[in-house]
Amino acid sequence: MTGHGKILQTEDLAIGYKTGKKVFDNICVSAEKAELIALFGPNGAGKSTLLRNLAGLQTPLSGEILLYGEKLKNYSRSRLSRILGYVSTEFIPVNNLRVKDLVSFGRYPHTGWMGRLGKNDIMKVDNAIDMVSIRHLKDKYIHQISDGERQRTMVARTLAQDTGIIILDEPTAFLDLPNKYEVVHLLHKLARESGKTIIFSTHDLNIAIQEADKIWLMLGEKMISGSPEDLILEGSFGKMFENTSLKFSRTKGEFGITRKFTAKISLMGPKTESRWTRNALERMGFGVVDDPAVQLQVVIHKKESLLEWELTFNKRKKQFWKIYDLCYFLADLGRSQPAGRQSGNEFSTSPRQTSHD
Amino acid sequence: MKERGPEYGKKTLLFIILPLILILFLMAGLFTGTVTIPADEILKILGGAEPAKPEWKVIIIDLRLPRVITALVAGMGLSVSGLLMQTVFRNPLAGPYVLGISAGASLGVAAVVMGFSFITGSYGLSLPGNWTMVMAAWAGSGLVLILILIVSFRIRDIMTILILGIMFGSAASAIVSVMQYFSTETVLRSFMIWTMGSLGGVTTPQLKIMVPAVLAGLILSLLSVKLLNAMLLGENYARSLGINISLARMLAFFSTSLLAGTITAFCGPIAFVGIAVPHLARMLIRDADHAILMPATIFAGGIVMVGSDIISQLPGLDSSLPINSVTALLGIPVVIWIVIHNRKLSGIF
Repeated sequence: MTGHGKILQTEDLAIGYKTGKKVFDNICVSAEKAELIALFGPNGAGKSTLLRNLAGLQTPLSGEILLYGEKLKNYSRSRLSRILGYVSTEFIPVNNLRVKDLVSFGRYPHTGWMGRLGKNDIMKVDNAIDMVSIRHLKDKYIHQISDGERQRTMVARTLAQDTGIIILDEPTAFLDLPNKYEVVHLLHKLARESGKTIIFSTHDLNIAIQEADKIWLMLGEKMISGSPEDLILEGSFGKMFENTSLKFSRTKGEFGITRKFTAKISLMGPKTESRWTRNALERMGFGVVDDPAVQLQVVIHKKESLLEWELTFNKRKKQFWKIYDLCYFLADLGRSQPAGRQSGNEFSTSPRQTSHD
Repeated sequence: MKERGPEYGKKTLLFIILPLILILFLMAGLFTGTVTIPADEILKILGGAEPAKPEWKVIIIDLRLPRVITALVAGMGLSVSGLLMQTVFRNPLAGPYVLGISAGASLGVAAVVMGFSFITGSYGLSLPGNWTMVMAAWAGSGLVLILILIVSFRIRDIMTILILGIMFGSAASAIVSVMQYFSTETVLRSFMIWTMGSLGGVTTPQLKIMVPAVLAGLILSLLSVKLLNAMLLGENYARSLGINISLARMLAFFSTSLLAGTITAFCGPIAFVGIAVPHLARMLIRDADHAILMPATIFAGGIVMVGSDIISQLPGLDSSLPINSVTALLGIPVVIWIVIHNRKLSGIF
């Protein structure tokens, strides 16, 4: 290792198509040992292109990629395959392939011409299978296992490859929420415990914020790099979706839809129950306010384990046992109001219809 | 060194049964034919002794033995080249001839048969297995190979290579058609006989060329199992595993041409064996690892071809059926079964 301990570094990198069409340029990022890095950016920003460039599968338009302080283009393909592993979302159209065989293909950079596995290779394959907890699947065919299990198998294959750097293109695509978390958490663990530098692209910002040490954010024309927390405090994520109806909540660390409210309502009650009632009311187009003087009021009563929502409207009161029933009633109420009373009123004709623009 | 899973015993059994069936078929090929020869006499001949009738020795040594060996080598070679092409193109319907090798060979043969008769007016080149025709077929398929290698050196996209291969083949076929149009009926007939394929026309001296060439192709293929396994995962994964994909492809193309080109040169184009046998082998062993799949394909190919040859000259027939019709009639149901059974062709391997 040379330089400042940087495992991977790009210098003024420009990436794009073979035809010379530029996708993204001026990329100056770096990765340290044992770091988990999430690459985040909108569709079409060039995440996959960047990762293919870093993996040596595509040639940059200009600029340099340095691995362990040495230019990527000076690496031979076989030498590169011993320091860098790559996982894409590409479907492998093979039915008769067993999990353990697919993982053992990861040993190819270290085996001879015939690809025969020695004792050491078999041990590495075994370890890789254990590290991603797929031992119970090792004799199954790869089309018999779930998407999450297949993704773990592909990770195991790169672990068997025994490289210092692993690059994964959208490892959480096609996975359900628990599997997404599990895969990213596994990557986090691998970075920590095995000292590997792991770079992955993702659309799941919440997970990336929780698990990644660093985020590379492809923001418009600029590539921003930093810890997720710094990027949140600097407002970088907010900028990313400036012109959309999405809004990044700096306190919650997640995106929400920017809503336009057409009526006001006040809400009182226990914390958790209030939070979800508020969620429903906002979806209905009611802005929740603290002002007790508004005409519409909801009070949540908690009687032992029973919940009751009490709605005050037009000086009348009505009780509900489910948020859904409350919402249903509010929507009906909105529709039953004469159109002429719309302006200046606390609730317009139909908040539901105008709430999502 | 594969880890011994639960399926290990089944596979070991298969690799005992397959060679046994092959030996059985080879015996059947030697012991049956249009002329009935007693089994003990055949064993005598094979042992080097003189049989009761001298013509029996001629039938066994000069006719049946070369024919059975030709069937064996042709079946093994075509099946392996089919497997190579299916893996390289990741297409279950690819076969030894997708690169246009048989069309190239036809072009060579047509050029010699028709050109020769055009110049000299004779049509003495009609027999399949004739040296001049062999060399012409070889040259024709070699020409296609060179074109494919040049293309694959410059073009990375595998689908483009596939389409260009088909186009080269079509172009060669078109030229052959033009030649046929200007040929006399007798010359046309001798060319047509070549296209039907024949295992019986290969002589013992020719086997001394054909067998080593096919063996070389088989050994080259067996040495590429690692490259083939990696190519199964797709180009990006293969490259990320340190495989030089252009070199791996060229090696596969070269092996295929050596195998399919040689066999086509000596036996004419033999259809469907190359496409169907790798699938039969897959069905039998259910393992995509070429280290196992390829030996299985080699045995299955030998069995299918020797078996087809036996069918083509079933007792009761005055002369043998064209081998091409037999392999087609056996192979087409297999291909249809594959297509219907798998429906989703994307995951067929």
